[in-house]
Amino acid sequence: MTQTQSQSQSGNGQTVDAERAVDASSALSAPTLPLYPATGGFDELIGADGGARPAWTRLRDDLDRYGVAEINRRSEHARRLIRENGVTYNVYGDTGGADRPWPLDALPVVIGADEWTQVAAGISQRARVLDALLVDCYGPQRLLRSGLLPPAAIFPHQHFLRACHGTAVPGGRRLHLYACDLVRDRDGRWQVLADRAQSPGGAGYALENRIVLSRALHEAYRDTHVQRVASFFLALRQTLTNAAPRRRDNPRIVLLTPGPYNEAYFEHTYLARYLGYTLVEGGDLTVRDDTVYLKTLGGLQRVDVILRRQDDDYCDPLELRDDSALGVAGLVQAVRAGNVAVVNSLGSGLAENAALMPLLPAACRELFGEELLLPSTETLWGGDRREDICAQLDSLVIRPAFGGRGEPQLGRALDGRARAALLAQLSVRPHAFVAQRAFDTGTAPVWTGTGLSPQPFTLRAFAVANGDDYVVMPGGYGRTGVAPGLAGGPLCRSAHGHGAAKDVWVLSAGPVAPVTLLRSAGARVEFKRGSSDLPSRVADNFFWLGRYAERTEDTARLLRAIAHRVDDDPDTQGGLERSALMGVVQAVGINDPGASVRTVLARVVRDAELGGSVPHCLRHLRQSAFALRDRLSNDTWRIINQLEQEFAAAAVVESERAHDVQPALNRLITSLAALSGMGHENTTRGPGWRFLDLGRRLERALFTIELLRATLAEPPADLPAEALSLSSVQAAQEAALEAALDVADSAITYRTRYLASLQAPAVLDLLLTDTTNPRSCAYQLAMLLDHVQNLPREEDRALPSAAERLALGAGTWLRLVDPLELCKEDERHGRPALTHFIDHLASDLTLLSDAITTQYLSHAHAARNLTGA
Amino acid sequence: MRYAISHTTVYSYTEPVGVSHNLLHLLPRDTDRQVLESHHLLVEPEPAVSELRRDYFGNQVSVLTIQDKHTRLSITATSTVAISPVQHLDASASWPWEQVRELIARDRGAEALAAAEFAFDSPLVPTAADYAAYAAPAFAPGRPLLDAALDLNQRINLEFQYDPRATSVGTPVAEVMAKRRGVCQDFAQVMIACLRSLGLAARYVSGYLETLPPEGQKKLVGADASHAWVSVWCPPLGWVDLDPTNSCLVGERHITVAHGRDFSDVTPIRGVILGGGHHAVAVAVDVNRIADDALEPI
Repeated sequence: MTQTQSQSQSGNGQTVDAERAVDASSALSAPTLPLYPATGGFDELIGADGGARPAWTRLRDDLDRYGVAEINRRSEHARRLIRENGVTYNVYGDTGGADRPWPLDALPVVIGADEWTQVAAGISQRARVLDALLVDCYGPQRLLRSGLLPPAAIFPHQHFLRACHGTAVPGGRRLHLYACDLVRDRDGRWQVLADRAQSPGGAGYALENRIVLSRALHEAYRDTHVQRVASFFLALRQTLTNAAPRRRDNPRIVLLTPGPYNEAYFEHTYLARYLGYTLVEGGDLTVRDDTVYLKTLGGLQRVDVILRRQDDDYCDPLELRDDSALGVAGLVQAVRAGNVAVVNSLGSGLAENAALMPLLPAACRELFGEELLLPSTETLWGGDRREDICAQLDSLVIRPAFGGRGEPQLGRALDGRARAALLAQLSVRPHAFVAQRAFDTGTAPVWTGTGLSPQPFTLRAFAVANGDDYVVMPGGYGRTGVAPGLAGGPLCRSAHGHGAAKDVWVLSAGPVAPVTLLRSAGARVEFKRGSSDLPSRVADNFFWLGRYAERTEDTARLLRAIAHRVDDDPDTQGGLERSALMGVVQAVGINDPGASVRTVLARVVRDAELGGSVPHCLRHLRQSAFALRDRLSNDTWRIINQLEQEFAAAAVVESERAHDVQPALNRLITSLAALSGMGHENTTRGPGWRFLDLGRRLERALFTIELLRATLAEPPADLPAEALSLSSVQAAQEAALEAALDVADSAITYRTRYLASLQAPAVLDLLLTDTTNPRSCAYQLAMLLDHVQNLPREEDRALPSAAERLALGAGTWLRLVDPLELCKEDERHGRPALTHFIDHLASDLTLLSDAITTQYLSHAHAARNLTGA
Repeated sequence: MRYAISHTTVYSYTEPVGVSHNLLHLLPRDTDRQVLESHHLLVEPEPAVSELRRDYFGNQVSVLTIQDKHTRLSITATSTVAISPVQHLDASASWPWEQVRELIARDRGAEALAAAEFAFDSPLVPTAADYAAYAAPAFAPGRPLLDAALDLNQRINLEFQYDPRATSVGTPVAEVMAKRRGVCQDFAQVMIACLRSLGLAARYVSGYLETLPPEGQKKLVGADASHAWVSVWCPPLGWVDLDPTNSCLVGERHITVAHGRDFSDVTPIRGVILGGGHHAVAVAVDVNRIADDALEPI
């Protein structure tokens, strides 16, 4: 349905929009929600007569019934659902708390059934045309010879991947997933701003928007017969299954993501979960015998289909871009050998080509004998319209034809130098540019909190190949206001202001059949328990998350004990304990020789560049957690976010007194306990949890023996040999024992058992050999043994693994040792037997760590590139 | 002329390599004047996957996957080729360069279309006004293309200094252009950038050049090296190969291995490894003339 308006819009779009926003709260007596006046251009809600369009009738009735307060309540409900579901997007490369909450408008955009049928036909036709162009370019190149496709539109395109020419593609298609960014012009005619053929993003957000709004506005959703978006995902799943070169009954399908730093990582994790596929990064896959495998704890598992969400040229460092660390070496060869299907096919990025936009009407006629139903926005390609572009530069937006980094440039906004540079580029490589005219786009209503306001509206629509045609998602991913990197940018003159996401409701001509992938009604769920499918990289990250969480806690406890003694007790005794504790600081690898206790303390608390310092550990803790984002609950993630922020805030308090860092350390230790509690009580006992706990246990065991070494095994420091009177030695030893119990959080237990009498053998028993103390070495080894015995193992392996043998050996040895024997002193009041024992235990623990790494985590290492002459 | 060629590359690693994927452009292709008579590839350790095929540009490419743990990888490609003498080329018989440019832009015949593949910027060779400006003095209006290209070939040879220390495999063309220094790969890519910036078609050719020992001395084993030059589309003469490093037309002593848009299309060995620690690489190339009498049947 289209309409024309004779009124012309005046002035700057934003102020006009603001004036038009109608304040409904001031009209409390009015029974209905006031509409804004006609905008002069096309508006989704307001028709030519100034009233709501027919498609909106039902929704509008419901909104009227709700009233302002209720709409706001539901808007808040939607926001809460989004927060709970963890819907975020982040800006590329921004690692520090980069996740932004997803701004979803409380109102959907409603589109009538008949109108959508036409739009959908246009979308699937465009997909067919672009697919045919790709099939030709990567095959016979008939259209290049016939003159339909200019070589300059294809050959210089960085995504024309020669290595993929002639490779087999599933179902004879190269474009399985297609998306386009649609806008209406002032007259309401839809047109395409850009085609997306690489690995179109946004479908996951569209799904999430739908799930949220269908709950927040559930009566309206029910009353309005809205076509389900799930039909699109069902078709996608079917297409991916059929793409498998073999095992079509149950192929292994993975979703390949560039990783957590990608702006759309949330969507990747969300889609992988929704579709039931394993989320993998390039490093999780390996090619052997021209076949792609997933590296899991249970060994290599063959992969049949890869749904890729990273650009094709980054997919194989061997045959495509060799500077890419994201890819899978040998992938192109595996595709060529017909052993794996990649969707979209490698090389499909060629169709994301603005130079093709003016050619599509002719291509559509030549290929299918049809007129192009859905036009592109007016586009001049430098390859054949260079003179026109140069002549009209001031009224045009120039952008790179082949995508890539170049930002769109508004001709009249260029200064003399930039203009000269652009003209020089246009003279040497005109084919690399297109020019488009800025225009006013149609608008859609946005909820302002008090009423409705018209905002520029763009729609990303999605199509998936299915059989001979494409299935178009009814609706899509709508945006109002600015859509960064998505649709046009400066191309749409009125596209500024606050961006919000929009759910798009397409009405159904008849009753709506319920379709969903979330719960297939009637079908019985297949029960599952922990699996050995865990990618090795994920296990590796869990392992290091455990280690860094423990290391942070140990360091914090140690610092707290030191800070406590520095301030409280400036006499010798405190000094003795302190020197023992400072020994631990050095033993755990924090080296800051020559500095005073105070400066060491300050640095370990604040200096992120000092290896082993608290902020250093926290940073690594966060990095490991970040890599596991799709596997950590929101609660866990919140704790991790708080840890770093709170501690950084608390620790910057500049203070002369070491004492002042204690509250920060206390809070940190409590938060870390919460994190450890999440691991304990809220994580299923799968291999992921085992690796998390393995890391923690190993780290704690290593820390505890270093604590024992510095406090019990070494002779008391800082005392000149000649000054060693028996009482001073005893005082020093007792102080060290006290400190050891304090750091190991076992002082209460000790006092309950032995009252005030501090004796080395009893302390050693509690911290070394007592299997009931969760802080003792023996306890850690018992847990380590349990973990390594329960990790996935190769079938029919009769003998224990190297890791099992080491854990069993060290654990047994530890239980057999006699604390009294270990506590025998030499003439310098050191304990050589204990030192010897600790040396051995430390070496065994290191070997155990290596054995676990070799057996389970060695797959996790990244490939490297070599270029020979 | 017939040649026996041997090209050995040995990688040594400080730590074991678990998996090694390699893509080789080491076996000479056939050309108008060159026939590959025999070839052999010896790889140690034995690869699990070894396949010989043609790439998009018609070059011989081998794909190797070594899946056994190893600390040393040795790849030796040996081949014999026969090269026929160059026909006398009349540079003035090539069409004016502007005419060739128009042909590349407009003609859809098989030959012009094939040339258009090599007329645009490629991964390692950009096009820009600077390169066109550098080439401009040689490209007077109406000048026969080959005549102008030979002029450019000579200018690069004169104005750029051969200096193996100035650049590495990854040095961008713009940097070579600024430094006016480099090796054969750099000169070839500079010349290609110049020609393409004028709208002409130029290919990057990798191969070998037979070297002759100084008078009275014996030729050293393994002393030869890979070489690179430029092929220019000069209708109606076809593709003509020019060697800016030696300021000459390519003759019987140039052995072609592969051609592509730039070095990245025809890298002799591209490899990706898992593991390996530090690595060292040693390359030895021998190009030996097979005496004519060896042809005689016994």
